Amino acid sequence: MSISETYFPTEPSAPEIKTAIPGPVSKAKLEELSTVYDTKAAYFVTDYYNSIGNYICDADGNKLLDSYCQISSIALGYNNPELLKTAHSDEMAVALCNRPALACFPSTDYYDILKKGLLSVAPKGLDKVCTAHTGSDANEMAFKAALMFQANKKRGNKPFTEEELTSVMENQLPGTSDMVILSFEKAFHGRLFGSLSTTRSKAIHKLDIPAFDWPKAPFPALKYPLDQFEAENKAEEERCLKALEETIKNYPSKVAAVIVEPVQSEGGDNHASPAFFQGIREITKRLDVIMIIDEVQTGGGGSGKMWLHEHYDVVPDIMTFSKKMQNAGFFFSEAGLAGDQPFRQFNTWCGDPSKALIAKTIIEQIKEKDLLTNAKETGDYLYSKLEAISTKYSGKMLNLRGKGRGFFIAFDLPTTALRNQLLAECKVLGLNIGGCGDMGVRLRPALVFGKKHVDILASIVDEAFGKI
Amino acid sequence: MSYTSKCFPNEPAGPSVVTETIPGPKGKDAIKSLGEVFDNRCTYFVADYEKSQGNYIIDVDGNVLLDAYCQVASIALGYNNPNLIKAASSDKMIRAIVDRPALGNFPGADFEQLQKDLLKHAPKGQTLVWNGLSGADANELAFKAVFFNYQSKKRGFDKPFTTEEEETCMSNQAPGNPEIAILSFKRAFHGRLFASGSVTRSKPVHKMDMPSFQWPTADFPSYKYPLESNEEFNAEEDKRCLAIVEERFQNWKCPIAGVIVEPVQSEGGDNHASATFFQGLRDITLKYGAKLIIDEVQAGCGGTGIMWDHERYNITPPPDLVTFSKKMQSAGYWFHDPEFIPNIPYRQFNTWCGDPKGIIMAAAICDEIKDNNLLEPLRETGLYFYSQLEKLQSQYPQFITNLRGKGKACFLAFDMPSGSKRAEFIEKMKLAGINVGGCAEVGVRLRPGLIFEKKHVDIFISAMEKVLPTL
Ligand SMILES: Cc1ncc(COP(=O)(O)O)c(C=O)c1O
Ligand SMILES: Cc1ncc(COP(=O)(O)O)c(C=O)c1O
Repeated sequence: MSISETYFPTEPSAPEIKTAIPGPVSKAKLEELSTVYDTKAAYFVTDYYNSIGNYICDADGNKLLDSYCQISSIALGYNNPELLKTAHSDEMAVALCNRPALACFPSTDYYDILKKGLLSVAPKGLDKVCTAHTGSDANEMAFKAALMFQANKKRGNKPFTEEELTSVMENQLPGTSDMVILSFEKAFHGRLFGSLSTTRSKAIHKLDIPAFDWPKAPFPALKYPLDQFEAENKAEEERCLKALEETIKNYPSKVAAVIVEPVQSEGGDNHASPAFFQGIREITKRLDVIMIIDEVQTGGGGSGKMWLHEHYDVVPDIMTFSKKMQNAGFFFSEAGLAGDQPFRQFNTWCGDPSKALIAKTIIEQIKEKDLLTNAKETGDYLYSKLEAISTKYSGKMLNLRGKGRGFFIAFDLPTTALRNQLLAECKVLGLNIGGCGDMGVRLRPALVFGKKHVDILASIVDEAFGKI
Repeated sequence: MSYTSKCFPNEPAGPSVVTETIPGPKGKDAIKSLGEVFDNRCTYFVADYEKSQGNYIIDVDGNVLLDAYCQVASIALGYNNPNLIKAASSDKMIRAIVDRPALGNFPGADFEQLQKDLLKHAPKGQTLVWNGLSGADANELAFKAVFFNYQSKKRGFDKPFTTEEEETCMSNQAPGNPEIAILSFKRAFHGRLFASGSVTRSKPVHKMDMPSFQWPTADFPSYKYPLESNEEFNAEEDKRCLAIVEERFQNWKCPIAGVIVEPVQSEGGDNHASATFFQGLRDITLKYGAKLIIDEVQAGCGGTGIMWDHERYNITPPPDLVTFSKKMQSAGYWFHDPEFIPNIPYRQFNTWCGDPKGIIMAAAICDEIKDNNLLEPLRETGLYFYSQLEKLQSQYPQFITNLRGKGKACFLAFDMPSGSKRAEFIEKMKLAGINVGGCAEVGVRLRPGLIFEKKHVDIFISAMEKVLPTL
């Protein structure tokens, strides 16, 4: 029996499309919902009660194969029986009704939940965790960790000076820091004020919001297929690394940290080679800069490894996560990254035990059902299917990428308009699929996606290309 | 029978401290092992939430403490409230936990109802809500809403962005990322991320080493107590502070798009202000075309004896945005002007856009407060609490000053002579069976749940009577 059959005996065998999407019921409901909620970004109204496994069901009863999965945040499919068990458990009820201020009054079982859950999949070299609420929140807390660490180092582990203590209350130097966080062009790290200052994906994400004057470096634009452009791509990565090094060296203020996604996701599923990430590591180590890897979208097993950067053989100082883990936060190594004093990295909740319980179940299932192997093998199969399609539509399906990265596969179309048309055609044919960047299509199925789902996805994508 | 007796038949009759220190031996071990995986330096003790009941928190050593701090003011209805357990095990909750949606893209069919259930409890004058995940998150989302609105108004709501704006923002430069500000008050606390950290002005340790925006501050009134005998001074204080706000609007180096203020400055010392002050603030924001954000993260959801503390000031017209979190168990901002919804999608956006789990809890908590009319007895408990503390204040004037919060239920505070005395007091209260918190340098703040009753007040006061003579 396949994984999805074990979990979801009643999963549909194929998409069922009865109406346009959004259909009449979805439309009516969106209209109503719009009186109390901004629905401009809504695709359709979902019936979560009837969604199952890899299929998302909408309010009209359409059942779509889901390769987008709540923007890459559903790990085990809809209505997973193991998550249902956890949701029904007494621990969950206690966690929901008595949400603690975790840093001050942690619960008796929090140690165990972390140890058996998140900590059991800590990336190599990072053995501590700090929990948070969203991807943006996790990244900003990681920035704070890096900034406080660097400032403490600069002041030689000494207490704050009187001048620092007074100036900081006026948001002035030296108490306020002029250190900066460097990010890459086309990066996406979130939408609060610190994280948005490092986001460089699209203007619409950034416009009208005050931002810190922080530096950026170019991210490689690789040419595909990789085996035909080895020399060019190597030169491109070297160019970017050189620019990174120069920016760090020449920037008027200290670069406290560099943040990078293992695959730039919102910005277009831009990949780079292990050598590029190893290069960042080498430069940041040498120049005394903290390296933060943002695994918010790439983490949680979709790449065939728990964390995508494990494909690269690099050990960052900090790694952030959210989305598929259903619990956000960051892993770190150096004790000093927790802050030199208590109550510096702090807020009311400091995480959420109910989310930590869900994360633990997800992690246990990943291990028990060997979902990483599934992601790797099914991902390879998916890649080969798409490769065949890309030969067939060689002028329209471009830059197929993500080989060997499990499900983390994407391709481009020649224009944004064609891309949007393809996404719409896929939906009509019963496939929920997402775009990224200006012309990209990204695949983000759950870890329970199997070969039979790949076959359906491939035939829909093939048909949709035929129509555009 | 009171709500508390009805809901918590097994609530302990009083505190009981069984170890010489808190944390005791088991607690110390637990904190130590937690430290292997989680920063334990802020940990007071490790709590056994399965056993905690009503107003009592129980730690791993079996110490039973009356809780007047309640997870930094975030537990509204006591531990293991049976009606919240029901909400936590309801079908819609299970669904919310198992299939957490990206609400902006794929709202569930029941989401409209969830929003409506929450909106029933909006502050007066507010009709819409945008959801977040924590207090800092809620405030920053509110700032973004204010900035989008401010710039859109300036540009014309139907005008497209200029190429220059689109290009400059990719390098974090004006005009795409304009220099515009949020004004906050000295001693304010609004959170610890980068923008919320910029408007927080409570303590250096909250802000140190973070890059921040150069945004203006104004003085928040420092009243003399008791209020009855200091009316003239306090009225002058309001005027002085408002004049500073107005001066900032006239002279700050960049436009001020919004003002954020707590109805009671909590982390910064439980500083109260008058209706005149808040109305004055409203008037100035209107005069200069800025928005008013009220931060009800700590004061909101019934803690002061009314659902939303700022409602008592009758601010007219009502504030533009009101943020919430903590006791609501969900976060976000209330608003009423649809102009705060950007006219292009994906501007106010993120992966989850809130959490139905939190929204369901929030509505359940608010319903419970309303259906059981919990705030009326709470106000009475508060008056009684205040009068008992007043007696102690006159008995121990060397230890207790500036008792404040009268008429705001149990949202009470007083000052001690020094930080070290305050620390000693809090520690000794713990050993006397009471969990209580400090605020600012010398303040002690009371933040019990909404189910605190006279009998709990008596226990609290008798612990103080024991502790004060030993200081
Ligand atoms: C790589 C990355 N980092 C951070 C975020 C922000 O996460 P959130 O939307 O939870 O704030 C995202 C969201 O898409 C992301 O893809
Ligand atoms: C008034 C006020 N605003 C905002 C916050 C920040 O909330 P959080 O800790 O959830 O980020 C707090 C927390 O104490 C608060 O008291």
